[in-house]
Amino acid sequence: MARRTKLRKFLRFAALATLLAVAGFTLYLDFRVRSEFEGRRFALPARIFARPLELHAGLRIGQADVVDELRQLGYREAPPEGESGWFSKNETGLTVALRPFVFWDGAQPAKRVQVSFDGAKVTAVRDVAGAELPLARLEPLMIGGIYPQGNEDRELVRLAEVPKEFVQALLAVEDRSFYKHHGFDPRALARAVRSLFSNRVQGGSTITQQLVKNFFLSSERTLQRKATELVMAILLEIHYDKDEILETYLNEIYFGQDRDRAIHGVGLAAQFYFGKNVQQLSLAESALLIGIIRGPTHYDPYRHAARTLERRNLVLREARDQGAINLEQYAQARAASLGVTRKTGMGTSQYPAFLQLVHRQLRRDYDEKDLRSEGLRIFTTLDPRVQDAAETALAKRLTQFDKDKRFGQPGLEGAVVVTDPPSGEIQALVGGRDPRYRGYNRALDAARPIGSLLKPAIYLTALSDPNKYTLLTPIDDGPFTWKSRGAPDWQPANYDKKFHGMVPLKTALAHSYNAAAARLGTDLGVDRVLDNVRRLGVERPLRPFASTLLGAVELSPYEVAQMYQTIASGGFRSPLRAIREVTTQEGKPLTRYPLAVEQAFAPEPIALLTYALQDVVREGTGQGMKNFVQPEVAVAGKTGTTDEQRDAWFAGFTGDRLAVVWVGYDDNRAARLSGSAAALPVWGDLMGALAPEPLAPQKPERIELVWIDPQSGLRGGTSCPGSQEVPFMQGSAPRDRAPCSGAMDAAVEAVGETVQKAKGFLERLFGR
Amino acid sequence: MKRLLLVLLLAGCATPPAPESTTPIPAPEPAPPPVSVPAPPPASSRQENIAIAGLMESARADAAAGKLANAAASLERALRIEPRNPRLWHELARVRSRQGQHAQAENVAVRSNSFAGDDRALRAENWKLIAETRNARGDKEGARQALEQSNR
Repeated sequence: MARRTKLRKFLRFAALATLLAVAGFTLYLDFRVRSEFEGRRFALPARIFARPLELHAGLRIGQADVVDELRQLGYREAPPEGESGWFSKNETGLTVALRPFVFWDGAQPAKRVQVSFDGAKVTAVRDVAGAELPLARLEPLMIGGIYPQGNEDRELVRLAEVPKEFVQALLAVEDRSFYKHHGFDPRALARAVRSLFSNRVQGGSTITQQLVKNFFLSSERTLQRKATELVMAILLEIHYDKDEILETYLNEIYFGQDRDRAIHGVGLAAQFYFGKNVQQLSLAESALLIGIIRGPTHYDPYRHAARTLERRNLVLREARDQGAINLEQYAQARAASLGVTRKTGMGTSQYPAFLQLVHRQLRRDYDEKDLRSEGLRIFTTLDPRVQDAAETALAKRLTQFDKDKRFGQPGLEGAVVVTDPPSGEIQALVGGRDPRYRGYNRALDAARPIGSLLKPAIYLTALSDPNKYTLLTPIDDGPFTWKSRGAPDWQPANYDKKFHGMVPLKTALAHSYNAAAARLGTDLGVDRVLDNVRRLGVERPLRPFASTLLGAVELSPYEVAQMYQTIASGGFRSPLRAIREVTTQEGKPLTRYPLAVEQAFAPEPIALLTYALQDVVREGTGQGMKNFVQPEVAVAGKTGTTDEQRDAWFAGFTGDRLAVVWVGYDDNRAARLSGSAAALPVWGDLMGALAPEPLAPQKPERIELVWIDPQSGLRGGTSCPGSQEVPFMQGSAPRDRAPCSGAMDAAVEAVGETVQKAKGFLERLFGR
Repeated sequence: MKRLLLVLLLAGCATPPAPESTTPIPAPEPAPPPVSVPAPPPASSRQENIAIAGLMESARADAAAGKLANAAASLERALRIEPRNPRLWHELARVRSRQGQHAQAENVAVRSNSFAGDDRALRAENWKLIAETRNARGDKEGARQALEQSNR
């Protein structure tokens, strides 16, 4: 009797203890479920967009390029009907059904536009009714993101946005009794338990359980884990209603891999596989996505099309059998092809070098954590067309040089920066010959001696003093020795190992004579020249040595671009920018990076320098440009080559773009390639591919053009062969006429001057 | 608790925004077809007028409504199309001035002048604006000189 009581007591105690333990564990799980589930906000990557293409009458772009961009954006060529996201060709051009998009300055609804072309130009943009539109802005291409841990990417959707058939088919396949059960399906569970012992992997999880598994648990398959999952699923069901659970599931679920980027949630999956918003998914497309859930690698529509199609049809069959869709829908969807868009394979970024720059600029204003979780939208300045041209030009030429030179591995490297001079916007940035490589970014981080690229600063300093220097002022290119205490004598030699005596200033620059530049620079004063280098936009400290004048200063291609930007935009310095705007994920504006200009130089010396830089290409070290770009483009540029040809540079600009190219070896080996032989062809290929606009700089008021006889350097004219119109600061042009110049030339000039004077007089008289 | 979760999910929701927040800012595009253009840009480029005029008009509307950042954005868009249009630079200078960015306003006005050629009226306007910005920065002498330039 007593023993029995004892046993009973013990049993009761044990039961109580177990109950307490279970209750405690349950409470702990409950705490976890609630705190983690509620505390959990999906971390959303910052999304980075290229510049939007803005189509308008007069834009110089051909139909093929617009079609390319549309395809990149996932637009399909389709018959003109139905939703947005397609385009069709017709007699005059393209009809485009633009998708809706929230831009920095507001939402743009879906709309249909007709774009007409004439050769390489847009002639008109019209709406469906035929009325001319000022502009049609395409949505910008997404070029990457700044991702949360695990590179998880997702696009959140509301349950209400997901098509009904999607939900019904999903439930038919994954969890038929979802709206009835309490987090688990007893029969399925029984099957699953049996399968544990029979060692067969078996599904049978409800959607709630799958969610719990994804959220809280590892993927091991033990009984204990299964039990925990079960309890948590029940707890989840107690706290939250079915729709909330389903919505979270739809946003959480994994749909596959895009290189290093993980595609999560049905919203992003719809975009990734079909280039559509989730609302636009057809039944066949929905079924495909549902089919993928079971095994994104196994059912990869790109790699295993047949198997995936079979899987999709199985989903459709189940949906039909469960009454989620009717027979007609079934037959129609089953007949459809897979329909996935061409895979672009972007991964976390298509243009890693440019993205690195964006990321660095963003870090000045945003927390790293926010960038990786708040779903910010970053609108940048990248022009994919320019970027692609730059990547192609660099890779092609480097491969060719490697073959010609056979200097062994690792091969030549290079970097390119392309900007829009008036705004300082960066249109392209290439950090190396493999543009997809996410490592060393030479455009930003490879500081290399710039050689003769510094010379324009010397000549700019000289030309700023029009009383002493014009483009024709004779400069001495005789042997030159610079003595300074505590330093060895400096005797710069010329590239051709010769000295050229007295040469006109513009010729000294055109042929990049070192002795002339060194003498001129030291005459002007090293400090004065370096001061102007800083005013051009170089922020790095510069050593105040004479050798710095000949480019013994190390700059990155990005810094060189900043320096030349100021020349290309008429003496106005604009900080180089990669970002235009940042908004929240809903489109609320956060930060704008506005256009800023600052006048760093008077327009006159810049105009003279630009003419001299055009001479570099017309008749100097940049002559090879004629093989790439029409002479009418009148490129202004400068070659740069450093000691033993370790670095080859070309920096130059056309009427619409500035580009800087560097070519060399990472380990500083002598490349045996000059700027004109290595960097210029890359520059030429790049610009040649972009139909450059001719460079016709604004002529400042106080600059006059005078016909000059090249032989004597005096006033010439039609009777002097080879006479050129050369710009001068007013009053600084030579007064004397060349011997060859006849009375006729003088008369023509006099008439011209009289007309000018009369015009000025009339203008003053009538105010215009 | 359910409400809390819903709020969290809503907060994290990306596309499209809830109906009441679809247009945080009235979109300057599509702009109505320009019926009357207040001040057409000078003769430099007629062909692209319609795009420029449309953007100029939205910029003016935004500026009038006090949406200066939007106005500046439209002008920058226009400048990407016609970077040498002195009228656009001038309008941008005005917006910068109203934004209180006096140094920028002056520099942008100088930029406008660099493209103004013999458009004396526009030059005068730019100099007047420069005078205003210098006054605002307390540079009386500079302002006087600028005014002198505007009357030349």
